[in-house]
Amino acid sequence: MTRQVLGSLIVALLIVVVTIVVVTARLGTTSTAELDLREELQEERIELQEERLKRLEEQREERGERRDDRGGRG
Amino acid sequence: MGDLVETITRGNVAEVKVILASVVLALAVYQLVLITVGYGVTRPPFLSSRAASFAHRAVGDAIAVLLVVVAIMCLSYFGLEDDAGVHVGAASALLVVLALKILVIRRWHRLSRMLPMLGACVFVLLVATWATSAGDLLADR
Repeated sequence: MTRQVLGSLIVALLIVVVTIVVVTARLGTTSTAELDLREELQEERIELQEERLKRLEEQREERGERRDDRGGRG
Repeated sequence: MGDLVETITRGNVAEVKVILASVVLALAVYQLVLITVGYGVTRPPFLSSRAASFAHRAVGDAIAVLLVVVAIMCLSYFGLEDDAGVHVGAASALLVVLALKILVIRRWHRLSRMLPMLGACVFVLLVATWATSAGDLLADR
């Protein structure tokens, strides 16, 4: 009888393990570390975009000033 | 308490709750199998009815503990949300019926003929509670 009870409990343990694996796989990675990393990457991307826009604006302003200088001399 | 739950689950309260509730549901299905052997409805050669009943009791104790943990997590972190009426109702009824079942098993032996009906009620309420919370979340993923 002890063996049968132990076997039944081992089956229960297996059910627990399989359920955890299946449900976790279904939920996907949602750990806070992963989410933090995603957020950091997004912030970096936004910063890079902003820097690029600033640089473009500065270049445009420089070009405009040069044109004004040329116009003044001419 | 809510902070403690958030710390223990490392911010993944809903996910941990879904996993625990799903484990309870899977074990509940196994409980049905065990009790059919326990009552002699099915007689597999590798499992006696006495061993099946003993395992049913042991797994049932584990389920009761898990249910209380999930209920505490739910109440302390999410509280009683207005749009979760069915879930709250089913879960409350589940805890009441489960407590009654435990009382019948441990104290009120005269009512032991009600055990199959109480067990069936616990299973139905468990399915309803899971479906209105964890099932919804899993379906959305």
